[in-house]
Amino acid sequence: MPSSLSKLRALSAAIVLLFTFALPAAAQLSFKPTAESVQEDKLLNALKGGDKISGRISIPDTMASSLIQPGGRDWRDFHRSKLPIIGGVAIIGMVALLAIFLMVRGRIRVDHGFSGTKILRFASFERFTHWLTASCFIVLALSGLNISFGRILILPLFGADAFSAMSTWAKYAHDYLAFPFMLGLIIMFLIWIKDNIPGKLDLLWIRQGGGILANGQHPPARRFNAGQKGIFWIVIIGGTLMSVSGWYLLFPYLPANVTTLQFWTVIHAVIAMLFIAAMLAHIYIGSVGMEGAFDAMGTGEVDLNWAKEHHSLWVEEEQAKGKAPSGTAPRAIPAE
Amino acid sequence: MKVFLAALVFAAITAVGVAIVLSAVQMPSYVAFSTGGARVGDPGNNLVGTDWNSTII
Repeated sequence: MPSSLSKLRALSAAIVLLFTFALPAAAQLSFKPTAESVQEDKLLNALKGGDKISGRISIPDTMASSLIQPGGRDWRDFHRSKLPIIGGVAIIGMVALLAIFLMVRGRIRVDHGFSGTKILRFASFERFTHWLTASCFIVLALSGLNISFGRILILPLFGADAFSAMSTWAKYAHDYLAFPFMLGLIIMFLIWIKDNIPGKLDLLWIRQGGGILANGQHPPARRFNAGQKGIFWIVIIGGTLMSVSGWYLLFPYLPANVTTLQFWTVIHAVIAMLFIAAMLAHIYIGSVGMEGAFDAMGTGEVDLNWAKEHHSLWVEEEQAKGKAPSGTAPRAIPAE
Repeated sequence: MKVFLAALVFAAITAVGVAIVLSAVQMPSYVAFSTGGARVGDPGNNLVGTDWNSTII
């Protein structure tokens, strides 16, 4: 009997010990792995802006090692929702602004009428460079806008097949005309930089609104006035940003980083919209907006009275060099 | 007008020249971005084929 009692005690002690040590184990067994494991939402929220989850790969495309990059959602959202607004406001806004300006101010005329005497404004090589850059820009702008807005605006009009064929060729044109555009940009910078350094005279021109807000006001200007200098620097800085960002898009393996590529696509898209808007203003004032202005890039020669009104100091410099007819009195030519 | 046309012609010739040079210098994407083991069938012409409108039988 005593031995039975001792056996019972030993068994009881064993059971107590079993529960004592087994309870934590039991608690561990009741642990729900899915409750405490990494949840996708928490993981994505924990990843900051440029963070991403990467794996190891053996193929040459290192960018393929990015498995999850939450920043990509913001990038996609920007392209789908914010970029069309920025582009729409910038481009349609500029067209509206120019239309209102034309209605209110009208075409800027040559106050003293055409003299009939011409002065060389731009040499052949300068005009060649301008039209090289400008023609490429127009194709780049239209094909670029097709990338941003084509699916919304053009696809419903022409159908999938025609839109697809057009977009394919537009993409080729966009990729390859970028190179003569960049070439034109470099030449333009080299041949016109000396005449586009901002100076005190430009402040006077800006204070007087360039003389385009009221008839008869013509602030003095050298070869390029402040407005033209502004366009020059918009083209140079904007064109450089477009070129650098476009270079990364043409050769995406150069940065070999998804976040960097996304950054440059945003730069490319935003600058493009602003660039196009600025060029609309340039095209307007060089054609419809100002009488006699197109001749500068058309034939290269402008009327002397036009030149005196808009670039008085430049005319004096040219006359001093003997490159321009000197001191002829303005002579109005009756309109035909 | 001559200058304008010359600029257009120059732009077109430059673009075509760049296209030829880049095509000659660069590797096709299916070579540049994948190893041989990762390619399926005829590289660059697999899965869909040349005619995207054809019905796969």
